[in-house]
Amino acid sequence: MLGNLGTNLKDALKKLAGKTVIDRVAVEELVKDLQRALLQADVNVKQVMQLSQTIKKRSLEEEPPKGVTAREHVLKIVYEELVHLVGGKVDVQLGRQTILMAGLQGSGKTTTTAKIARYFKKKGLRVGVICADTFRPGAYTQIKTLCDRVQVNCFGNPKETDARKIVAEGLQHLKDEVIIVDTQGRHALEDELIQEIIDLNEMTHATHRWLVLDAALGQQAREQARRFHEAVQIDGVIITKMDGTAKGGGALSAVSETGSGIVFIGAGETIEDLEWFDPDSFISRLLGMGDLKALAEKVQESIKEDDIDVNAMLSGKFTLRDMYKQLEAVNKMGPLKQVLSMLPLGGMEVPAEAVDVTSVKMERYRIIMDSMTSTELDDPAVLNGSRVQRIAMGAGATLEEVRELIKYYKMMKRTFKNLKGGEKGMQRLMKKFGRFS
Amino acid sequence: MFKALKEKLFSVRQRLETTIEEQKLDSDLTIHSAPSQGSPEPSALSESPAPTPPPRESEREKKAPGFAQKVVSLVRDREFIIAAKDIEDSLSDLEIGLLESDVAFSATDAILTRVREDLTGSKRKIGTSVDAVITNALSDALLSVLGEGVNILDFIASREKPVKILFTGVNGTGKTTSVAKVAHYLTNHGLTVAIGAGDTFRAGAIEQIDVHGERLGLKVIQHQEGSDPSAVLFDTVQYAKAHNIDIVLGDTAGRFHNRVNLMNQLAKIRRVIQPDLIVYVDEAVAGNDAVIRAEEFSKSVGMDAVMLTKVDMDPKGGAAISIAHAVGKPLIFIGTGQGYDDIMPFEPKAIVADLLAGEA
Ligand SMILES: Nc1nc2c(ncn2[C@@H]2O[C@H](COP(=O)(O)OP(=O)(O)O)[C@@H](O)[C@H]2O)c(=O)[nH]1
Ligand SMILES: Nc1nc2c(ncn2[C@@H]2O[C@H](COP(=O)(O)OP(=O)(O)O)[C@@H](O)[C@H]2O)c(=O)[nH]1
Ligand SMILES: [Mg+2]
Ligand SMILES: [Mg+2]
Repeated sequence: MLGNLGTNLKDALKKLAGKTVIDRVAVEELVKDLQRALLQADVNVKQVMQLSQTIKKRSLEEEPPKGVTAREHVLKIVYEELVHLVGGKVDVQLGRQTILMAGLQGSGKTTTTAKIARYFKKKGLRVGVICADTFRPGAYTQIKTLCDRVQVNCFGNPKETDARKIVAEGLQHLKDEVIIVDTQGRHALEDELIQEIIDLNEMTHATHRWLVLDAALGQQAREQARRFHEAVQIDGVIITKMDGTAKGGGALSAVSETGSGIVFIGAGETIEDLEWFDPDSFISRLLGMGDLKALAEKVQESIKEDDIDVNAMLSGKFTLRDMYKQLEAVNKMGPLKQVLSMLPLGGMEVPAEAVDVTSVKMERYRIIMDSMTSTELDDPAVLNGSRVQRIAMGAGATLEEVRELIKYYKMMKRTFKNLKGGEKGMQRLMKKFGRFS
Repeated sequence: MFKALKEKLFSVRQRLETTIEEQKLDSDLTIHSAPSQGSPEPSALSESPAPTPPPRESEREKKAPGFAQKVVSLVRDREFIIAAKDIEDSLSDLEIGLLESDVAFSATDAILTRVREDLTGSKRKIGTSVDAVITNALSDALLSVLGEGVNILDFIASREKPVKILFTGVNGTGKTTSVAKVAHYLTNHGLTVAIGAGDTFRAGAIEQIDVHGERLGLKVIQHQEGSDPSAVLFDTVQYAKAHNIDIVLGDTAGRFHNRVNLMNQLAKIRRVIQPDLIVYVDEAVAGNDAVIRAEEFSKSVGMDAVMLTKVDMDPKGGAAISIAHAVGKPLIFIGTGQGYDDIMPFEPKAIVADLLAGEA
């Protein structure tokens, strides 16, 4: 997927090797190569322009944390931006569910329906397929033949012209754990057919609505995906025909447009040709695994050096003492914002108040905390009115300032808790880094 | 079709025109001794663009024009020279417009190069409309890519019966539906048609074409699923000969150009039935891969014409330009929907004229 993006990037990144300062010319070259590769792979033009601008801006403007080379810095930024593009990992559940297949005419919905039916069947689940394509001649024969090959139930009626009716009957008729509804092809400008799929989605209370897209799909991908998403809330994309020479960039634009991820990849005409997609290893491969590993190690090293217990922070046991250490570390590693940005957090947002604290304020906080007892630092819950007064006196600060510090602490604690809870959270990333190291 | 591209072309044209007018004004101001009769002509925007191509410069200046040359040109010939740097912004606008319309990278490059060469370094006589210069540069570039086009009815009339037309292409692009539409189009023009169900591979494919044939009242020759496609198509030709039918349309299974055995199978079909015309079918929504696969099909089994389907999904239609540029073969039809009437003959001259006509 994405064609020669990997080679282009690796070559471009080589130009940054051994550099301590970010070389504007090298960055511009890298961005140009990246642009070219993405455009040739059919990633949406606007998206490519945006992505390359962001990479350029961030590479040139963000200060690399201490001890991180220019190359690693840029690599990390490229990694993060590509994570956005490729989407998160989609976990396919092995339980009772209804899947609604959606997509343009000829994208491979029926073939993929059969492939997925086989997949669930192999996992030991009972599978039933409903043929809701009432338009294309031979549609029922096509899916019925394929279902028979993998021995799963298939419900349909080639004489019926109302897809809603067939689906209603099929839902009654089939008692299987996994129900897959194959639908007729449609596109963004066909309002009646879009309405039909909205109705089918409501009727089936579909657990998933997967958009099936041809790997060769070009600039239209984003707009088509937008319309499907608006209609039925697409929660996964399947890219078909990856066995050809198409690079799948259009489908990736659809992934980011719908904020979903790639569920499966179709890579052949026969029913076995279904593949997994792991975004992490995909990007790692694209960028060269060694690089990512080195980066991960570096991050861990700098954190260890400064004695911040990331795991404790993430487990919610974030005390004032941890915050004190953190503020100390800031001196060595640069602002918290950048410490956090070392980690590929995907699309996750860290509240601005959490990171936009001036160094002057940081220093004030540190002085205030110097006046706290060990008990207070380890268990901030004990802080009451009289303790706050004592601390303020000791630090030569106002009551206001101490309260502000406590407020900041609480917000930080909340932030770390959220990070932990977040789906693409830091924990997962730390785990991933653990895997590399 | 090409609506977005048309809008883009319009704005690029406007911008180029402003740039060029300004540049001319600049030059006029610099040269004090310039005769005063050459007052700037009124904007040609409101006029309709000249449909005839401009007279080509016999010797085209490709180097960046130096100051001295500008002076000579202005004083002696009352011409001015368009410099490359002055139109770069407009050209990069055009580039984005083309890319966004799904014109592939290579074709976009070719068009830009052509427009740049046509416009820059060339001396423009004051008095010729700026709009005409620009419109013609764009029109030339587009037509050089799209080619002359073919009239299918004339072509059929020129051949011995039955005229054999074979449809090829990758999976799911609309070959079978296009066979049905073309059959419908030809019967509407008084011709008789037989169809060969050459997709013996995909589940339900034979039934699909059979239903189309039934609805259109046409004979569909078919064998069993899994049988040799050359044999079905051979039988179809025999049937047409025996029944004095004008045209044989041969459907085939979709296949990827990187599958050698499947491409060999297509080559065999070609040897067996000796088609008069190989129509390669691809879809308007395809991106850059359209170029790669068209080239591969062209190389391994050949193609004589292209049919672009699903233009209703993507009215930008840039794939038409990409494919035509890649293989240098004419587009004969576009498919604009799933109905039998959703088919249109493709006429490059009319399309380009429309693209560049008046306002967007
Ligand atoms: N080579 C290849 N062909 C595929 C793949 N998925 C589907 N197809 C083919 O694409 C064409 C359209 O597929 P189909 O399932 O009928 O699409 P639908 O119209 O969306 O239901 C058929 O010829 C399929 O055999 C794939 O992953 N690889
Ligand atoms: N919207 C639209 N759909 C089309 C067009 N041509 C074909 N299709 C649909 O695309 C799908 C695949 O077409 P088919 O003829 O089976 O493709 P083949 O696999 O290449 O033979 C079917 O659902 C057709 O109805 C078109 O011009 N516009
Ligand atoms: Mg289908
Ligand atoms: Mg077909």
